[in-house]
Amino acid sequence: MNDPSRFYRWLLLVGSLVTIAYLAGAAVHENYLAQWKTVQREYRDILRQKTADDRGRELLSKFRIEMKQVSIPALGAVDRCVTCHNGIDDPRVTDAALPHRTHPGHLLDKHPVDRFGCTVCHHGQGAALTFQEAKAEDVYWDYPLLPPEMTEAACATCHDPEKLPSDQVPMLTLGLKLYKEKSCGSCHKLGGRGGTLGPALDNEGAKTRHQLIMTNVKPPYTTWNWQTAHFRDPGSIVRDSQMRNPTVTRGEALALTVLMLSEWRRDVPESYLAPDKIDQKHRDLHPIPLTGEQVYRQYCTACHGNGTYSRWDKKFGRFVPAVRGDSLVAGAPRDYLRTNIEQGRPGTQMPAWGPHAGGLHTEEITAVDEYLRAGARAAPPMPSLSLRGDSSRGLSLFLTNCAGCHGMHGRGGIAPEIGNPVFQQAATNEFIVRTIRNGRIRTAMPAFQRPEASALGDQDIADVLAYLRTLGENKNQSARTPGSTPPPPVGGKP
Amino acid sequence: MEETATQEFLHNLRTLPHSVKEACFRLGKAPESEREESQATFHNLFLHIHSVRVHLRTLSPTLTFGLGLMATASFVLTLITGVLLMVYYKPSTDLAYQSIKDIHFAVFTGRFIRNIHRWAAQFMVVVVLLHMARVFFTASYKKPREFNWLVGLGLLVITLALSFTGYLLPWDQLAYWAITIGSNIANSPRELTDAIGITKYFDPGGFQKRLLLGANYVGQDALIRFYVLHVFVLPLALVTLLGVHFWRIRKDGGLAKPEDPMGGLAEWGGERRPVFEPLATKTYGLMALVKGQRPPVNRGPENTVMSWPRLFWAELSVFMLTVATTLILAFYSDAPLKELANAAIPENPAKAPWYFLGIQELVSYSAFTGGLLIPVIVVVGLALIPFLDRRAGGEGTWFGTKSERAVFWQSFLFALAVTAGMLAFTVNYGWLRNWSPNIHQLWIIVINPGSLLVVIFAGWSILILRRKNSVRLAAVSLFTCFLVGFILLTYFATVHRGPNWHFYWWPSQWPIH
Repeated sequence: MNDPSRFYRWLLLVGSLVTIAYLAGAAVHENYLAQWKTVQREYRDILRQKTADDRGRELLSKFRIEMKQVSIPALGAVDRCVTCHNGIDDPRVTDAALPHRTHPGHLLDKHPVDRFGCTVCHHGQGAALTFQEAKAEDVYWDYPLLPPEMTEAACATCHDPEKLPSDQVPMLTLGLKLYKEKSCGSCHKLGGRGGTLGPALDNEGAKTRHQLIMTNVKPPYTTWNWQTAHFRDPGSIVRDSQMRNPTVTRGEALALTVLMLSEWRRDVPESYLAPDKIDQKHRDLHPIPLTGEQVYRQYCTACHGNGTYSRWDKKFGRFVPAVRGDSLVAGAPRDYLRTNIEQGRPGTQMPAWGPHAGGLHTEEITAVDEYLRAGARAAPPMPSLSLRGDSSRGLSLFLTNCAGCHGMHGRGGIAPEIGNPVFQQAATNEFIVRTIRNGRIRTAMPAFQRPEASALGDQDIADVLAYLRTLGENKNQSARTPGSTPPPPVGGKP
Repeated sequence: MEETATQEFLHNLRTLPHSVKEACFRLGKAPESEREESQATFHNLFLHIHSVRVHLRTLSPTLTFGLGLMATASFVLTLITGVLLMVYYKPSTDLAYQSIKDIHFAVFTGRFIRNIHRWAAQFMVVVVLLHMARVFFTASYKKPREFNWLVGLGLLVITLALSFTGYLLPWDQLAYWAITIGSNIANSPRELTDAIGITKYFDPGGFQKRLLLGANYVGQDALIRFYVLHVFVLPLALVTLLGVHFWRIRKDGGLAKPEDPMGGLAEWGGERRPVFEPLATKTYGLMALVKGQRPPVNRGPENTVMSWPRLFWAELSVFMLTVATTLILAFYSDAPLKELANAAIPENPAKAPWYFLGIQELVSYSAFTGGLLIPVIVVVGLALIPFLDRRAGGEGTWFGTKSERAVFWQSFLFALAVTAGMLAFTVNYGWLRNWSPNIHQLWIIVINPGSLLVVIFAGWSILILRRKNSVRLAAVSLFTCFLVGFILLTYFATVHRGPNWHFYWWPSQWPIH
């Protein structure tokens, strides 16, 4: 039999050789093959060619091949980008190729690298030493390098985007304009102001790709690719999205994406903030009231259009009522619109817009109320009715005539819910009777007192009204005192 | 002529290398005789734990596959690289992640060192488990090695704890959510106390979790606790137990082995020696030192060879093999480092470290059964093996007793079929909660795929016990069943569990986040 240790001696030899080889390999790999060392050698050669004077030669002799970094604790940044971008603030290499080239434009005049670093504007992984890891699109890093055309989103970190010159931040400016034009605020809150149908957009730019469903997005899976694809067609990115197509061009989608990326309330030391940013923070806390028209355009048009007709909404599966029609505005009680705006319409998509809900100020609600009723003609006088209604007869009439649209028990269908407390409280009997009699112009609500066989008579309407009022009671049984009042006489006091 | 002081000094200077060597090494030269070889062994602190002569079987690569040594070697590797990492690592939630990034990018060969640390740690867990299986299947836990089996079990637990505590330190998403899951497993007794409504008065789960984390969530307190455990308490405990483990190997008579045949011949380098016939008037025991009759009375000399140098070649080669393997893995594959830990963005699926995934799969059925009851049953069961299976025989031989190999393969296939069947059933048809949503939680704690598996395995083992009339074979069947169950559950939870712990054939089918 052979010496059993023969095998072990061979094993030891092989193991040791492999160990030495890989240790040496690691040393070579780290020492000589590092990407950034090659880059720095290239840069030194460029400098050599460009150096003509003594000062240049002196600078050249000081150039060391070594890792370089800008450390800015205040911004939480350790940026090693300058290890490869050696000439970033060196005017001699404006014509060199990347990564040796000087930073384009004059931005570094006011944003010196040693004070701001790189990642506060560009994002990306500052600690990395290879481009792939610095770009960080397909490595584990929350905020990959922003594409050049979107970098302006980061300006909003320290500047008020509205105050920046639009030629410097064209995308951001366009995005801001579109946000108002497309009435995004109708459904989305931003800074505490806006609707509640969609998610609030504060800090949208702080989201990482893991917070967005990327299943239907084309790679690379970045938040901006998600945003852009989503702005082109929300339904194809988020299943069951209620958001309608904003109908934007590709450029506009990119601009809105930049706006979203700029919504990132980073904690930046005050010394880094531009004065206008501080103004903006003040303005966010104490907003200047908008005019009625501005409010309507920014917060209402996404659903109500221009407000003069009721429109069928495919996504909601129901009608969105006209809010500027003569019949509504003129026929409704004085506070009807106002109450609905302030408190919303429970059971429908209409949210509350009061100071504690949608964030509109009282004077803004007054302004939009006035804007809506401007130019409406006064309603023709209506002969008053003082018939007493029979709610059980009203029920059967309601089932025949109304439930098709307003739903069983008035719970709402394609037409608004009638049992909701805000409506019950804000709508006077006179208004309801007038609406049933005459219908609502430019809406799907027909006039029921028509010269036809099926038309409802005054008594019928009184019965329906009596029934409608029971809906409010049923709904708020707990809130009201037991043994509530009988149906009120039609045509009486509101 | 009298030597001057100058000459003496110069002479001393010339002979300096020699005298230093002589001072350091007691022998001063390579051993040439067997006597010097023994001296080389027992004059050296690190070698003297070995006996001077070693049995030839010990040198056979297929007896142990060097698994114990590999585990030790990977521990030494983690120790060395761990100290290097400690120089740069900062155990603070604000700084930890950045310090790992710095190790990764800026520290010279830092990435390589961290990779070695990670791979050595993973290798250690695997090898320790295999080592335990080796000791079991060669029946090496039997008398007088029962205590060392227990020490080994302690080392297994410490190894897992070391790996688990190290998992949190990078403070990335992987670490954060794996430890969140892990600490919820510690919290699992709460399922039982909740179900019988006594959590308010008696809450061992909550206590365990708070003891582990120092808070109700994974935060700075948890990080410091894990750090102290990882770099101080656990390594110290491991080194201590490791010393005991080695010491006991020596004191229990080296590696377990069957008795040599009468008048045995040293197969290599030995010579035929006569059987020793005892004188009736002498006892020949070294009673105070070792158990039993140690001098080879009534038998021939054992098949031993000098430990120096053959055993040390063997040990060194296994050590270097481990180092080489680890370096290769570390060179080509980076240790994972995900995004900075963020409590607001849960990983989905959040998975515990791989060696706890079998437990996590069981926890997904019932937290109490899977997270506490079954692990306790397994550990206690393992600890009891050498005390319940006491019949000598088969020591130091793979599947040494009669029909052991057959029972192993039968149990292997049985456990494979039962576990796979149970998993397939659970994935396809759900469990009690899916069939009857309002069922009391106690039912699920008692009857779930995990508890059923334990019952089936126990039943199978009892069947073997009755049929084969052998405790050892019953132990083999039970150990095999649990081993297969562990491996299969771990594999299943690693590969086939995706977001929300749903079944997927492959991770590539997971929804993209």
